[in-house]
Amino acid sequence: MKKSFLFFLFGMFCLSTTIAQTTVKGSVIDGTSDDPIPGVSVTIEGTDLVTKTDAFGKFSFIADVPLGEQVLVIEKIGYTTKRYPIIVNEGKTVDISDMSMDYDNNNRDLVIISISDDELNSEDNGATDNISGLLQASRDVFLNAAAFDFSATFFRPRGLDNADGKVLINGIEMNKLFTGRPQWANWGGLNDVQRNQEFTMGSSANDYSFGDLAGTTNIIMRASQYRKGGRVSYASANRSYEGRVMGSYSSGVMEGGWSYTVLGSRRFGNEGYVDGTLYDANSLFVAVEKRINENHSINFTSIYAQNRRGRSTAITEEVFNLRGNDYNPFWGDLNGETRNSRIRRVNEPILMLNHFWDISNKTSLNTNVSYQFGQIGNTRIDNGGTRLVTFNGQNSYIGGANNPDPTYYQRLPSYFLRDANPTAFDYEQAYIAQQQFQNDGQLDWNALYSANATVAAQGGNSIYAIQEDRNDDKDFTVNTIFDSEISEHIKVNGNLSYKRLKSENFANMKDLLGGTGFLDVDFFAEETDPNSVDGLLESIAQSDRRNPNRIVQEGDRYKYNFEMDANVISGFAQGQFNYRKVDFYVGASVSQTSYQRNGLFENGNFPGARSFGKSEKLNFSNYGLKGGLTYKISGRHLLDLNANYQTKAPTIRNSFSNSRQNNDVVIGLESEKVQALDVSYIYRSPIVKARLTGYYSNFKDGTDIGFYFTEDLASLGFNTGDAFVQEVTTNIETRNVGVEFGLEAQVTSTIKLKAVASVGQSIFNNDPNLYLTSDDFDGPLTFGDGTAKLKDYHVAGGPERAYQLGFEYRDPDFWNFGLTTNYFSNAYIDVSNLARSANFSTDFDGQPIVGYDATVARELLKQEKFDDYMLVNVTGGKSWKINNYFIGFFATINNVLDQEYKTGGFEQSRLAKFGRLQEDQTRETGPVFGSRYFFGNGTTYYVNVYVRF
Amino acid sequence: MKTIKLNKLVALFACMFALNGCIQDDDFKAPDTVVVDPVINGNIIDIDAVLGTFNQSGDDIITFEGTNNFMVGYVISSDEGGNFFEELVMQDKPENPTAGIVVQVDVSPLFTIYDFGRKVYVKLDGLSVAISNGVIQLGRREGNNLAKISAAKMSEHLIRTPEVATIVPLEVGINDFSNELESLYIRLNDVQFNRFEVLGDNPKTFAAEDDDQFDGERLLESCAGSSSVILSTSTFSDFKSLLLPSNRGSIDGVLTRDFFDDFYTIYINSPAAINFNNEMRCDPIEIACGLTTTIGANNLFMDNFETQTLNSLITGNGWTNFIEAGSEGWEAYTATGSNASLGRSARVGSFNSGDVSTIAWLITPAINLDANTGTTLRFKTSNSFADGSSMQVLASDNWDGTTAGITTATWGIISDAYITQDSDSFSTWFPSGNVDLSCASGTIHIAFKYQGSGQSDFDGTYELDDISIDAQ
Repeated sequence: MKKSFLFFLFGMFCLSTTIAQTTVKGSVIDGTSDDPIPGVSVTIEGTDLVTKTDAFGKFSFIADVPLGEQVLVIEKIGYTTKRYPIIVNEGKTVDISDMSMDYDNNNRDLVIISISDDELNSEDNGATDNISGLLQASRDVFLNAAAFDFSATFFRPRGLDNADGKVLINGIEMNKLFTGRPQWANWGGLNDVQRNQEFTMGSSANDYSFGDLAGTTNIIMRASQYRKGGRVSYASANRSYEGRVMGSYSSGVMEGGWSYTVLGSRRFGNEGYVDGTLYDANSLFVAVEKRINENHSINFTSIYAQNRRGRSTAITEEVFNLRGNDYNPFWGDLNGETRNSRIRRVNEPILMLNHFWDISNKTSLNTNVSYQFGQIGNTRIDNGGTRLVTFNGQNSYIGGANNPDPTYYQRLPSYFLRDANPTAFDYEQAYIAQQQFQNDGQLDWNALYSANATVAAQGGNSIYAIQEDRNDDKDFTVNTIFDSEISEHIKVNGNLSYKRLKSENFANMKDLLGGTGFLDVDFFAEETDPNSVDGLLESIAQSDRRNPNRIVQEGDRYKYNFEMDANVISGFAQGQFNYRKVDFYVGASVSQTSYQRNGLFENGNFPGARSFGKSEKLNFSNYGLKGGLTYKISGRHLLDLNANYQTKAPTIRNSFSNSRQNNDVVIGLESEKVQALDVSYIYRSPIVKARLTGYYSNFKDGTDIGFYFTEDLASLGFNTGDAFVQEVTTNIETRNVGVEFGLEAQVTSTIKLKAVASVGQSIFNNDPNLYLTSDDFDGPLTFGDGTAKLKDYHVAGGPERAYQLGFEYRDPDFWNFGLTTNYFSNAYIDVSNLARSANFSTDFDGQPIVGYDATVARELLKQEKFDDYMLVNVTGGKSWKINNYFIGFFATINNVLDQEYKTGGFEQSRLAKFGRLQEDQTRETGPVFGSRYFFGNGTTYYVNVYVRF
Repeated sequence: MKTIKLNKLVALFACMFALNGCIQDDDFKAPDTVVVDPVINGNIIDIDAVLGTFNQSGDDIITFEGTNNFMVGYVISSDEGGNFFEELVMQDKPENPTAGIVVQVDVSPLFTIYDFGRKVYVKLDGLSVAISNGVIQLGRREGNNLAKISAAKMSEHLIRTPEVATIVPLEVGINDFSNELESLYIRLNDVQFNRFEVLGDNPKTFAAEDDDQFDGERLLESCAGSSSVILSTSTFSDFKSLLLPSNRGSIDGVLTRDFFDDFYTIYINSPAAINFNNEMRCDPIEIACGLTTTIGANNLFMDNFETQTLNSLITGNGWTNFIEAGSEGWEAYTATGSNASLGRSARVGSFNSGDVSTIAWLITPAINLDANTGTTLRFKTSNSFADGSSMQVLASDNWDGTTAGITTATWGIISDAYITQDSDSFSTWFPSGNVDLSCASGTIHIAFKYQGSGQSDFDGTYELDDISIDAQ
């Protein structure tokens, strides 16, 4: 059968130097269904001639085709690559129609679980946000390594954040305006229908958008673009979910031009590698497309990907030593079941209408409308429940409770040994605490319910409750994408886009935990707080002055409630020029962004327009320029260069210093200025493919906001410097430089060797500005010259150095085996900015701390570098064809050697003060407020079994 | 063909929904929070027995080991308002209690577990008893001191029962305070906050004044007699910033000693424990007309005690000399040397008298202020180690002239008259100043009142002489 076309030819003849107007054309079809396959990359091996098949699986080379014996390579993600020998004669047309490609049954699931899933699992402000979910399966050996083997460590290619890349679905940008990052959960569990992905590396030319530094992925989810057939699979794993069932079916293009694709999947698990992390996700996908005539198609795509996860958190070294890397303080036993107090729920369906118009065979216009709506919810325990006591016409709020977190510092052994020269009694107490923590050490749900019942019996409100922080977004996007081949050598792209976001943000009373109501006041408010207008606790403690002393029920909004409106208008134009020796492109973008907050509660700490009603309207005008070229020294040797300069509007999250409480805009807020350059040398021979890239990027005027409780702030007076603060850092300049290297060698027809390395450095390039705000003190608080001395500290986010050696064996008998050894080093902790400000050396009265020792300080503030580690991963699979069914399995075992390692971590800013930090860091029995770390998983597995028809 | 595939899909979805039950949804049922009556396998003893064991031992600290004793009691403190912290105060009975004790626990909050009125068993083995901050407490032994029962051990030592009793406060007077009443839930009837705490331009809060450290200490006084007590409120309490009530009534709280064990004090669980419903304050009349430079020529009354019999109670010249409590009264004496008298002078002191209480009055005859103009008062005082004792100069316009009527009459302070203080030199006689009485009216009697502290070995002596009342 078609297998007879399979040739594995190695060793190519030298390149033909005689070039003539000769044509090579053809088409590619699915080996099983005979359906045409669009988007297949077709290369004439050993040259730089590359094209892609169109919607009908057709392609053609017209210009510069070399004569003689050539090899056509056809590649597409999800299919086994094939090579077809052809003979090209001058002036003749080679027509090689219906080349077949077989579905690669051993292919791994794209968007492998460790990428998007860990991110979902993370806390909002942890280092896990840095995982680059943009990593996609790719033909590039380096990117493959980064996606499959490096992702477990938060490795960030080129030091870039998730927000530095773009994810598009059918040409519509999906990055969220709040964070700049794509919300992977919005389309999780749809693996079968996300195989058509176009990934543009770095800032190089992309046909749909201006893109960004970390690359642009367009996921094509059009019904007509799916191969006819169905697939049913079951996966089992112990990382995030325990099981996944998925079934999909695509009709292919039917009579009358209709096509449809449906998918349903469910992912589930009572816990992943980390204890208590439940997984409950259902996904449905329906796409219908109608080809109206030769020039017009209309597609409707709908995605319903609902996801509910139990979260875990970073833990201190002390907790890790007592409980290990699978410990999770968020869960506890309730009625014999595991209940996690931190549930993250994402449910934001997407509806899309796409119109494809081939104006001519060279020009197309693609117009899209998308509407996304729904909810994101994050729960946590609220332990500030009180009741109102009215006495002589004065109101006070009594009650409240301590944090029930089992890892609360006062419950851990280190707390009992915090004083110098601990006594025997201290050791006894520490031992008791240790026994308690090791033997139980989980959240005591019964105590919470019992407390509420006890208080309710006396007529009181809930002391404990479950608060769900909600973002209910309505996101409307319309865009139109223009694409035209003006001439053989010139292609023009452009787009226009309008995006409108209306976001409601509030705390939802999720569960009263058996109580009868919850009094909506701020238990921590003090009548002496600086923003108090009338000096009355009753005024300042209100979440909403317009509705004071309200007792809320389940489902009510409380604590905070505001809307955020955002509008973005953007345009993009690009020219791509392809010549024999040189390809180059230039692109430009402009955009106008506006944000406005609208407070629906009048916060007690910030009366009047400071919190209620509309904020100042923020406007940002931005632009970007980019260009690049590929110089073809010969077919085997290429040089590639990309340069980019752009300004980016700050995200909504970084624009308002404390949007839950007030309308305050970040002082000194600026658009970020980004410049980047990368240069690659690419070598391609039939046996060896290699790429060496040097990169540089520089980000100026970045902004970051953190929230934490800290003690003894400088200049706030003796014993009065404790506050819950918002830390606003602006004017951040960071720089990434480094080299990437990837090499793969097909040493025999079955064995491929891989070598990958990334050596980089991501550092702060200046001393950014830092100020604190809080309802506990007046006005923005700055220290010394107002900066944090961060210059030359490393930007945290995974290892800066990563290396891989690996091999793959692909047996002709449809089984394969692969092994990679990955070595990581130079990962750094996320440092406390506050401790690097003058707060560190300044006492309560604004004077220098007596006994401040610069040498000791330098030691205390030295950035922690995590230990090096090695991860060994194994993959394997096999497939069978039985009648018209393909049956197969694919399995991976990650971290075979069960290496314990830190993937990231951050310093606590609680003791950002010389004497206090020194005392804490030099305790023989370990710090009470030590840094918190994210730990990698031990050995995990993933097995997927499937049937395709 | 197509139907077959659709069937497969339907089957698949059915399978998925079947699996749906695997994962806990977020709709949890509340657990059973009913407290079960514990079975105590041991000897149940009352608080009195614990106090008795401690008192009889004569030791500073005793530890229970191998007794299998469980103390039973009722919780009378509540940390809901933040006025108690990591301690439970327990008494033996809900009504008419006779013994109370403090239990130190390293847990906050406690009111959500051991709420007010809850009957609790305390497993004594492993715990120690000692006096801490002036009251008897239970806790873990650390050296020779008490430490809190650790959180991990709380449920082992403090065993809840389902019973939540109604605690009836024990009605007592301030003068009744004694060790026996410590750590009991008491009620003081007909009390008010001292006028300097609640009247005037800056009425005080419970514990949010600038000079409040740890506790706000406010003077609570009885309207029934001349007794007073400190109400203490933690500066960490939720109601610390409320203004004290200015009216009068009853207050319920836990009687204890202050941190330094210097005096009795009361802590309340929440402001709701204060039930002041009588708008009429019981402040003494105060005569405060200031001092004057003019002394009238018309002498209305004078005495320099030169005619009195030494070492006898002052008599004659219209004086009423009344010993309200104790054995000591105003008497005539003479002394020379560094602590000399002014010839013969009057004095009173309860030092080493052994009296539980000492109150002595020396009252002038009636002075008609309405019939005279520019009336003034002059006298001299000296003290000899006054320490805990005090002296006041008072006036009443409603005293009936009988000794029986002295304590029921309303006496106001003549606040501008200087009376020597404990810190003054013992050798000096201090003039009161020319105290103007012209802004007062009616017929008044002026009284010199001495009061011991109740601890006679901590009392001293006040001396008085050269009294002169004049008018224009």
